[in-house]
Amino acid sequence: MSLLPDRRVRDDWFHGLVPQCVDIDPQAYLESAYSFALCRAERAHAVRIERAAHVYSSSLFDLGTNAEVSIGPFAMLNGARLICESQITIGAHVLISWNVVIMDSYRLPPDPARRRALIERASAPLHRMVDPALPAAPVHLRDNVWLGFDVCVLPGVTIGEGSVVGARSVVCGDVSPYTLVAGNPARPVRDLPRPPRAHEVAP
Amino acid sequence: MADTEQAIPKNVHVGAGSVLTGAQLFRRFFSERDPAVTVGAHCHLEDVQLALGRRGHVTVGDHVFAAGLMILSELEIRIGQRVIFSFHVVIADSDFHPLDPAQRMLDAIAISPLHAGVARPERPAIGSAPVCIEDDVWIGPNATILKGVTIGAGAFIEPGSLVTRDVPPRARVLGNPAQVIGEV
Repeated sequence: MSLLPDRRVRDDWFHGLVPQCVDIDPQAYLESAYSFALCRAERAHAVRIERAAHVYSSSLFDLGTNAEVSIGPFAMLNGARLICESQITIGAHVLISWNVVIMDSYRLPPDPARRRALIERASAPLHRMVDPALPAAPVHLRDNVWLGFDVCVLPGVTIGEGSVVGARSVVCGDVSPYTLVAGNPARPVRDLPRPPRAHEVAP
Repeated sequence: MADTEQAIPKNVHVGAGSVLTGAQLFRRFFSERDPAVTVGAHCHLEDVQLALGRRGHVTVGDHVFAAGLMILSELEIRIGQRVIFSFHVVIADSDFHPLDPAQRMLDAIAISPLHAGVARPERPAIGSAPVCIEDDVWIGPNATILKGVTIGAGAFIEPGSLVTRDVPPRARVLGNPAQVIGEV
């Protein structure tokens, strides 16, 4: 159990607390409360980190007020940045490498005129001018997905079960299950073998 | 303005209400031009690196926001008004070494520690071309902008793009190399 009763993390270098909206399973591992330094989520149970999931300290939960994030059992976040205004779900046994960006929102309107109005209003850090009404499209990583380093996953993407994304790819469309994709933009490279279903395994 | 106690070089000019931070802000700053860096008003440049060569020159407009931006300039980089850089963006206006293999060997010798304290041979000619980012551009995380590129006003650079060619105004680009995928 890495979370202490006063919501500090055991042996943490960062003198901060894990926000109340974060539910961490007693058997999950969180390296540092710094991962939640940018968390502005306000919903109850906004973040769920399930059993045996492990989140290392260079991971960052950059969450807006309405954000909901769930991290499945045995999933590993080894330095991902989650930019979330609506919903990001990460399935069981998902492996996420360093410098990965998973975003469900661009945080700013794509139209330059609207962006200009927002920028001229702000005189301080960017997140003060984030408009919660901006469109966001949920991102889902299904079970057993593996993301290589420096990968970007753009808003609205669903990556199917068992798929692999090569290093430095940018995923801007859905990925079907058991597919290896790579490149910028990411394209299918080949199919991956599906594991045998439970009833097909010899006793 | 710098968050550590490093001195701000005399040829760096920062406008009213602007904030520059970064532990490595001037670690590789060698520009001899004046002005070498001009930053406009109300900019917020966090954790930025200004790696300028001897003839490097950077101008930044007003209301520019950046985090973790790396600016590598040997010639000229111009950034307009209200440009937003997501984290880990790199802008370079040079190749930094010659592309020709024989010339590159000479360059490796010229930059080696062998010449410490004695006259260093001139480095061979290196390809550089100015970079211009016009007003109201949005640049996504992990994007890279290479030499000679002009990004038109209002363009939208998707995350992770590698921009090697000019981007028309208000275009939406994605990929390595970045291709136009639509309009904003």
